[in-house]
Amino acid sequence: MAACVSSIRSVRVLSKIIHGHFLPAAAVQHQASSSRWLHGTRGSALSPAVSLTEEPDTLYQELSVRVKGHDRAVLDSYEFFATLAARELGLTLDRAFEPRKHTEKLTLLKSVHIFKKHRVQYESRTHQRCIQMSRVTGSTARVYLEYIQRNLPEGVAMEVTKTSVEKIPEHIQKPLWTDCTLE
Amino acid sequence: MAASITHPALSSLYKINSNINGIYSLISFNRRISISSVRSSSAVATETEASGRGVRGQRRSKRQAGEPRSERMAVDQDWTAVYPTAASFKPAAVPLPVRMGYPVKRGVPPAKKGNLELIKIPNFLHLTPVAIKKHCEALKQFCTEWPSALDSDEKCMKRFPIQVQSKEFVSAGLSLRNPDARIVTLKVKLSSLNLDDHARKKMIKLSEERYCKDTDTLTITTDSCPLRKQNYDYAMYLLTVLYHESWKTEAWEQEKTRADMEEYEWEDSPSQKKVLDTLLRMRALGAKDEVEEGTREELLGQPVVQEYRDTMLRLKNEGETEENLHKYKEAVKKLFNI
Repeated sequence: MAACVSSIRSVRVLSKIIHGHFLPAAAVQHQASSSRWLHGTRGSALSPAVSLTEEPDTLYQELSVRVKGHDRAVLDSYEFFATLAARELGLTLDRAFEPRKHTEKLTLLKSVHIFKKHRVQYESRTHQRCIQMSRVTGSTARVYLEYIQRNLPEGVAMEVTKTSVEKIPEHIQKPLWTDCTLE
Repeated sequence: MAASITHPALSSLYKINSNINGIYSLISFNRRISISSVRSSSAVATETEASGRGVRGQRRSKRQAGEPRSERMAVDQDWTAVYPTAASFKPAAVPLPVRMGYPVKRGVPPAKKGNLELIKIPNFLHLTPVAIKKHCEALKQFCTEWPSALDSDEKCMKRFPIQVQSKEFVSAGLSLRNPDARIVTLKVKLSSLNLDDHARKKMIKLSEERYCKDTDTLTITTDSCPLRKQNYDYAMYLLTVLYHESWKTEAWEQEKTRADMEEYEWEDSPSQKKVLDTLLRMRALGAKDEVEEGTREELLGQPVVQEYRDTMLRLKNEGETEENLHKYKEAVKKLFNI
């Protein structure tokens, strides 16, 4: 397992080089130490690379990943990859659907000079996919999104919508003015 | 052989190889060295030919390509070793008979050897199900579980009433940044906050269009700061200020008129006065003319009057529907004993 992990980590370091961004060592280390919520601690099966922090994990009620590209086949493959990764990492997949494609059409003159009646039309099609997941913790979301984003193919853009749920902060729980006299 | 290594053609090849993936370069470099050592004699012969042609000849001799690697691949090999990361399509390394492109006349799409269409398109050869499972196995240790006590949405909303929504964008372009990523939307239900009647009404009045009456949700959208964290802090600050201000009662709030009221109140309304007046007149056909406090309360306490009050409130607050109008008609009939 350790060998597999180290090989995959070295593979991922190489992938960073190939993709053109060189992450500093601190960022690589950051991956290794993520925050965990004390409520759901794992057993003693933690490798030394993972560290627990006191800070509570954020909770995302909904995580929506929308990918857009010009090639439908590429998005098909990407959807398969993202859904399989979500299932393997234990995320609850709500639904993976295909919103309507957006077509941008242009009508231009065919000739450089005169011939107004003869035009040529171009169109640009943008296909989309949306994968919605519910009830994801902050650490898991960060891991999943980083994995998904590193393997995003060329020519595909992604938009992630996160809805996090929080408690009412302490300073809003009681009014300040009950102690002092009302104006 | 020292001669083969210092061959100019091979030295340039070595420079190219050092830029590629470490694993792959080693295999290909070794292969090229082994092939060149066999053909060093022919290489020397072509070199003399090239130098004979002129100084211009920087051309490398065209070597014969050997057997493609795919011929020597086992069926049960580890594919994650062949394509560990995203790489372009290499026809010699992929043992599939793939064809792509517009078909030749009365023919089939072109084969994979030297096919630019296959190289142009992004491939997922590095993300086979086996590879994905391997990656996820390694990543699982960084994931945390969702707390089992919060199975349903209602429990979530009860314990964690505030919802914060933000977006992230990943795309390639002239700039990596997307200004829409700084927008933060904060949603909270007023029923989950500690507010009394006056505070609730004041909060609704202060938030104006940010409050939705149907869902009882206050939505605060902030985009005035350049960073997401700053916008989030600003949204929380606005919520805090709204909350504390709504608990305060200012001196000028005493001057609240009927026009400022959010809901229609029947007490002290023209409708109530008219009803009283009408009832008194109905009664006073044989009785005294003075109005007493006692009779006023008595009249208002009658069930028919209460019913009329309910229908009036429903009409004014909820709007005019068939059902409401029908009930109003019944109430009026009962009031006048028709």
